[in-house]
Amino acid sequence: MGELPDKLSLLQVIIDRVSVGIVVVDRNHNVVLWNSFMENYSEVNTEDIIDKNLFDSFPDLPKNWLERKIQNVFVLKNFSFTSWEHRPYLFKFQHNRPITGGADYMRQNCTFLPIKGDSGDIEYVCITLFDATDISIYENMLKEAIKTLARVSNQDSLTGVYNRRYLELSLSREFNRAKRYGHPLSVVIFDLDHFKSINDTYGHMAGDEVLKEASKRINIALRDSDILGRYGGEEFVVILPETDLNSAHIIADRLREKLADEPIVYSKDVLFEKPEITVTASLGLTAMREDTLDYQTMLQEADSALYQSKEGGRNRTTKYEFVSDGSVSAPAVSAPAPAPAITAPKTQTIEDQVESEPVDVDSELKDVAFQETSELIQDGNVIYITIGHR
Amino acid sequence: MSEDFEDLMTNEHYEVLTEVVNIGMGQAGDSLARFLGVFIRLSIPRIKLVKADDLRKQLVELVGNDVEVTGVRQAFFTHWYGEAITLFDQGGSKDLAKLMHYPDDMDKETEKELFLDVGNLLSGACVNGVSEQFGIELNYSPPSILSQNVFVEDLFAADKMAWTHSLLMEVNFSMEEYKFKSHLLIMMTEESIETLAKDLERFMERY
Amino acid sequence: MTTKVLIVDDSSVSRKMIKKSLPPEWDVAITEAANGIEALEQYKLGVADVMFLDLTMPELDGYGVLEQIQKDGLNSMIIVISADIQPEAAERVKKLGAMAFIKKPIDTEKLSAVLKEHGII
Repeated sequence: MGELPDKLSLLQVIIDRVSVGIVVVDRNHNVVLWNSFMENYSEVNTEDIIDKNLFDSFPDLPKNWLERKIQNVFVLKNFSFTSWEHRPYLFKFQHNRPITGGADYMRQNCTFLPIKGDSGDIEYVCITLFDATDISIYENMLKEAIKTLARVSNQDSLTGVYNRRYLELSLSREFNRAKRYGHPLSVVIFDLDHFKSINDTYGHMAGDEVLKEASKRINIALRDSDILGRYGGEEFVVILPETDLNSAHIIADRLREKLADEPIVYSKDVLFEKPEITVTASLGLTAMREDTLDYQTMLQEADSALYQSKEGGRNRTTKYEFVSDGSVSAPAVSAPAPAPAITAPKTQTIEDQVESEPVDVDSELKDVAFQETSELIQDGNVIYITIGHR
Repeated sequence: MSEDFEDLMTNEHYEVLTEVVNIGMGQAGDSLARFLGVFIRLSIPRIKLVKADDLRKQLVELVGNDVEVTGVRQAFFTHWYGEAITLFDQGGSKDLAKLMHYPDDMDKETEKELFLDVGNLLSGACVNGVSEQFGIELNYSPPSILSQNVFVEDLFAADKMAWTHSLLMEVNFSMEEYKFKSHLLIMMTEESIETLAKDLERFMERY
Repeated sequence: MTTKVLIVDDSSVSRKMIKKSLPPEWDVAITEAANGIEALEQYKLGVADVMFLDLTMPELDGYGVLEQIQKDGLNSMIIVISADIQPEAAERVKKLGAMAFIKKPIDTEKLSAVLKEHGII
């Protein structure tokens, strides 16, 4: 066994053999140390770069950013780090997976260490550079897999919109958020009318096509922050964050029109010659109130409003409005000009109770086209306001 | 175990530690002030011994639970083992971006990098400030994101903790003309507390 | 001649550290205060030829003490001893009438240098 080399030459050997890039620069960014790893990957020899300015030798370096990073280590006397996830690489190095890698340059995790000189002040910064290419490849594969998994487990396989599991998860999340910040939140449930007869007449394939086309139309009409999901069968739910009841009413009725206004053409049919299937939907909606217990309550309320829409003759939108006690505080009876045709006799009773408060025509709702009727039904403490075709 | 454990730190230990952390925090505040070019308001350090089961409640008491936060964590090791966690609230992130002259519409990755940089700066400066007073040099792991935009009570899953007790130190940094507020939590493992108690005793022998 | 010294800090450990850092040859009579309000009460009793003042304290902080003293008329030499070492903290206290600013942790060397510089010892 040979004699152990002295400590300094031992360190020299380690610095050169270790598979980590090590660079030391002084305050003027002149290179003081450049190990073999750096030599091999950069193809710049140590003797050619020592005492030379780092940025002169590597014009590709992100100069402004790196200067600031190094300056901060001098000023703050503190470690600093970069990760390949935020900044893929510092030096444009080849990596060890030229064939199977799929990454252009070596991914790098870097550490910046303050080094004290003889004076006791920070005089140098040591940059260490770890090859993170393999990690990045696996991490990206993992991320892709998780993304696929999330998509599969959150998506309704037929329509591509969210499934019930994800819907409930989102609604519970949105509910908690809205409750905490006191922001508005509305939920719409809709159900395609006479869906069974579409299946019976044109077959299940056509039924599937209608579900797909209907979800597509609704999804296009929604805002980015809205969440559409299939609740089951031909029933869908839309979560409208930051939306109060009246705005949600307008949005919901637009969705109704998107379906009813243009028939769905089923082109793949073999028996019929491209049948045009007119699909309508009945909608029910509700908004979160201060006393709303949980998100399930919202779904129940929207569902009972949906039931009113079905009862009232389908292809209509009903909003659920809760009245806390006998004194009705001017429920915004939404009806377009000209004069609302309030027909239900019970409505009259409510109107009488309101007395001094005239029925206010919600100006926002004037925009909602094609409303021919509007009705008000009181059921216990709940008022359903419906608009739609008669 | 638990009673013995609570005996490890006497009132005097806590008082000395509070002062030492106070000095560490001052250095972190100075670093942040230099980094951002604004005056930083410092809090009075709060130090507690916490049980894992109790951690959520204690954190909510220290930090509040009314806004969502992003947490950056970082380990320190060699003489003591522990983690430093920096919490940023959402309003604060916009202020940070503004002070650093980042664009308003910075992407998520840039925002993460900014959080990691500032988290590293605060925890590094503070923990270093503390360890320097004992003449101890520590190593630091690269910072990573603990969780993004969560409420403080959801920051940790208490049932997944591999410890039963921890020393929790909290300091916070705010600014006069901005909404920015950041909490720095330093947590040490049970094994390290014994070491720390001895370090504190040695420290006071000088005075 | 005995100098009356008031040490203001919420941390008893820090007060102890300041006391131990006073130059041994300096003849002093020490009073202590644990927050800004106590400090002002003691100050009014005239126990402070020299005041060592912390900045971050509960109740009334060091800035508050300086402001109040500036308003009532300054007749102490006030030396701020602070963990908050931002350059702006030093500027602010000087504007409020502090004579000197010492960064924590305190030691005899730092303290003696400042006391000598201002001719106190």
